[in-house]
Amino acid sequence: MADTTNKKFGWGLVNALVVVYALFPVLWIVSLSLKGPETLSDGNFIPREFNTDNYQLILDPDNFGLFLRPLINSIGIALISTAIAVVLGTMAAYAIARLSFPGKGLLVGISLLIAMFPQVSLVSPLFEIERSIGLFDTWPGLILPYITFALPLAIYTLSAFFREIPWELEKAAKMDGATPTQAFAKVIAPLAAPGVFTTAILVFIFCWNDFLFAISLTSTEASRTVPAALSFFTGASQFEDPTGSVCAAAVIITIPIVLFVLFFQRRIVAGLTAGAVKG
Amino acid sequence: MRATLPDRRRPHRMAIALGAALLAAPVLAACGSDDDGKTIVNLYYAPEDKLEDVVANCNEAAAGRYEIVYTKLPREADGQREQMVRRLAAEDSDMDVMSLDVTWTAEFAEAGWIQEWTGDAKAEAEDGTLEGPLASATWEDKLYAAPKNTNVQLLWYRSDLVDTPPETFDELIDAANELKDSDQPYVVGMTGAQYEGLVVQYNTLTASAGGTLVSEDGKTAVVDDGAVRALEVLKNFATSGVASTSLSNAKEDDVRLAFQNEQMAFQLNWPYVYAAMQAGNPDLEFDWARYPGVDGPAKVTIGGFNLAVSKYAKHSAEAFDAALCLRNAENQRYSAINSGVPPTIESVYDAEGMDEAYPMRDTILEELKDAAVRPVTPAYQNASTIISTVLSPPQSIDPRKTADRLRKELQDALDSKGVLP
Amino acid sequence: MSMSTSAVAAASEKPPPTKAVLSEGKRAERKLGWLLCAPAVIVMLAVTAWPIIYSFWLSLQRYDLKFPDQREFIWFDNYVTVLTNEYWWTAFGVTAFITVISVAIELVLGMVLALIMHRTIVGRGLVRTSALIPYGIVTVVAAFSWRYAWTPKTGYLANTFAGDTAPLTDRAYAIFTIILAEVWKTTPFMALLLMAGLALVPEDLLKAASMDGASGWQRFVKVILPMMKPAILVALLFRTLDAFRIFDNIFVLTAGAQETSSVSMLTYNNLIKGLNLGIGATMSVLIFLAVAIIAFAFIKLFGTAAPGSDDGGKR
Repeated sequence: MADTTNKKFGWGLVNALVVVYALFPVLWIVSLSLKGPETLSDGNFIPREFNTDNYQLILDPDNFGLFLRPLINSIGIALISTAIAVVLGTMAAYAIARLSFPGKGLLVGISLLIAMFPQVSLVSPLFEIERSIGLFDTWPGLILPYITFALPLAIYTLSAFFREIPWELEKAAKMDGATPTQAFAKVIAPLAAPGVFTTAILVFIFCWNDFLFAISLTSTEASRTVPAALSFFTGASQFEDPTGSVCAAAVIITIPIVLFVLFFQRRIVAGLTAGAVKG
Repeated sequence: MRATLPDRRRPHRMAIALGAALLAAPVLAACGSDDDGKTIVNLYYAPEDKLEDVVANCNEAAAGRYEIVYTKLPREADGQREQMVRRLAAEDSDMDVMSLDVTWTAEFAEAGWIQEWTGDAKAEAEDGTLEGPLASATWEDKLYAAPKNTNVQLLWYRSDLVDTPPETFDELIDAANELKDSDQPYVVGMTGAQYEGLVVQYNTLTASAGGTLVSEDGKTAVVDDGAVRALEVLKNFATSGVASTSLSNAKEDDVRLAFQNEQMAFQLNWPYVYAAMQAGNPDLEFDWARYPGVDGPAKVTIGGFNLAVSKYAKHSAEAFDAALCLRNAENQRYSAINSGVPPTIESVYDAEGMDEAYPMRDTILEELKDAAVRPVTPAYQNASTIISTVLSPPQSIDPRKTADRLRKELQDALDSKGVLP
Repeated sequence: MSMSTSAVAAASEKPPPTKAVLSEGKRAERKLGWLLCAPAVIVMLAVTAWPIIYSFWLSLQRYDLKFPDQREFIWFDNYVTVLTNEYWWTAFGVTAFITVISVAIELVLGMVLALIMHRTIVGRGLVRTSALIPYGIVTVVAAFSWRYAWTPKTGYLANTFAGDTAPLTDRAYAIFTIILAEVWKTTPFMALLLMAGLALVPEDLLKAASMDGASGWQRFVKVILPMMKPAILVALLFRTLDAFRIFDNIFVLTAGAQETSSVSMLTYNNLIKGLNLGIGATMSVLIFLAVAIIAFAFIKLFGTAAPGSDDGGKR
């Protein structure tokens, strides 16, 4: 009994360290967002007085185009891009990991090549292409590049995981009388889940945080996402940094990430404890 | 093998459906464009407080001939330039009137991106406009933009610590040292980070020392004795012990905040700090004076924005009209009072309401009449990058050697040769 | 046609497959393989094929947007200009230094974090979520908050550690803070990939090892690490590729001042600020080549399995 309590205490301490390391700078951002212009640079970690002006400013429905509309854009574009990238990536990774066909190596090489080319010089040609086919400043105009640049990572990560799955289990399940669907759903899917959800988290974060494409391929709030919208925040004049409102926006846009991760990290655990392997 | 195929097809079908939905979206997005008969003039301007009111005023004045639609550009000047250049290089006809920083005129004109102002429009743009800003809108003796607002730096100082403001840099350093000896706040704030702000300061010093950096046609790097003298002054200041320890990382707002928090006794900064400091620290006692120069008050570098009309604009006549309205005397007065941007038309300085919002307007006007412009060349961005790199950090300047290095690298930059740092 | 189909039908009953069935099956497998990969390939090529080719083509020209009349084809002169330029090599050195150090730290820290996230017995959800938050914060905002934290008087870090000097104005100190910001931000990326790799290590193997008397450390080195090798190498590969192209943190913290520019910042300055399309494209190609060499080294030397290079899935 005491042993388990000790163990729990020990782990609790370690957890606390991790949380502090991860969240200390985040708390600093929260603190900056709650400071008014007078106390912004007083160097205090915890604000002496709490000022919610910044939050009120960006969440004001009258300022819809300032932050709320970009937030909606971000959520929609990131979710759609993640869904499609994971689906396409899973299909390709399955083929790469399990099937043999000519051109496999070439495909992997090409996707790696795309991941490696500096994006800054791809932006202008992309801008011209999108302008001429009418995708500029639209949701698909951002979704397509996001999928493109998320796919290499997705394919690589997923195929690395798929390689580790013992596929004979599927045959074993079928021999035990399961239909192909049951075999897939009950045996293979849980083993594939950790990899798929890991990839989903990484792709989502990539789309959510991207700045370069967001600022170059959008021009109005119709499709501008939050990271780009941050550079349109203004202080009271040309040179004043809108630190407070930028930090408030940062705090708010971290919340969906937290939710997304909270949701998916339980799926990863569920996948691991499905227990198909241990039998 | 066959048994497992059906399961694979399900995600495949979903992907197709999603893809189709995505491709249909732009068709829907295209609806609602400006094809409802009215002429639209697209204004691309930096985010300026209350500019929407000015736009509304001009739409009223247009009385239906056209409507100005205001699209915001990013806050940072580099971001604004990036957005506009990308479109102009692609010959985008979506932009009609654009806000150009004063240093971009030569570049945009040489690249063929903006239209020349001629005839009546030119006359109206020049009428009553101060010389300095007008010079910044000119390239090869042709007018390419209408000055909207301007900006000059001032010396701000703690009136409770300093009685008479210094007039030269030497006096400034002496005054600061005196304060230092009596254990009071003494630091002098200057924007010395490796960026455009440093170029502004150095340009002021060079002009004040009677020097030149670049020839008038923008093709040759000069960097004469006056420029060397300016380097000496800058180095002196940086190593004098009264400059901030963060000098080589300080930008405008960093300096303003430090002064506001009573860590500094002097700062060299734009007029925006007046309203900002009043909001941030209402009890602070401060005053302003002319920027100190080398042998007397300085020839200060001009900042500000000009309005230009894009080469690819669909409705040029209306665009020129709209631009002239946005920067006319009444709207400049409104912007000065409500957005904190100094006017370019001289008569506005005496207009109603200017004295409460702009108590420093007389000093600003004085400086504007004796101002300096940054090197006028299409390769200004290159030149600015080189200058700020070579001069950083200010403490390591060796006047002769730095000047030689500057001359050589500046020439490469003007010829667009070599690599930018 | 019908003969071979019936042959297939007949052959699927027989245990030893004949040659005809294999090629039929193989063809179906190949078709399936291409079909599954097609959507991904089509999307990737449609978006990037032209821009990449265009960049290569631009790098062979002298093309400055500010002087459009001076545009001309100059073959590899741009490459000579860049490769003999001091600014390029300084940036290259800084980039390489930051890459090696930050990836090394992230690997160790990421492994520790992965172990904690995997093995902790209290507050799993809390630890896992909070460990991933740094990666989820918009990079420029995080960099901005570090900048503020290291500014004297304004920031708690500067006040605690640096006293009166301004850390960001000193080159070594500045590089240190850049590495710190990078490590803090992207360790979760490593940790996540490593944790998912950890999850694939079978519990019973570990139990067997501990019953054989292996200590925690021995279990780690002899059982866990080898089984995690694929995951480790994928994480290292992608992290290194990204680290070499570092931009946001440097841009906000120092804007490349005091010679802390990375090659990406240099490219940005020449391409977007300098509007020199020729030089900018050249630098992009050079960065691409450098990154390709790194990837090649990882695959060939360290044996990162290029997925599909063996029939690993078909045991």
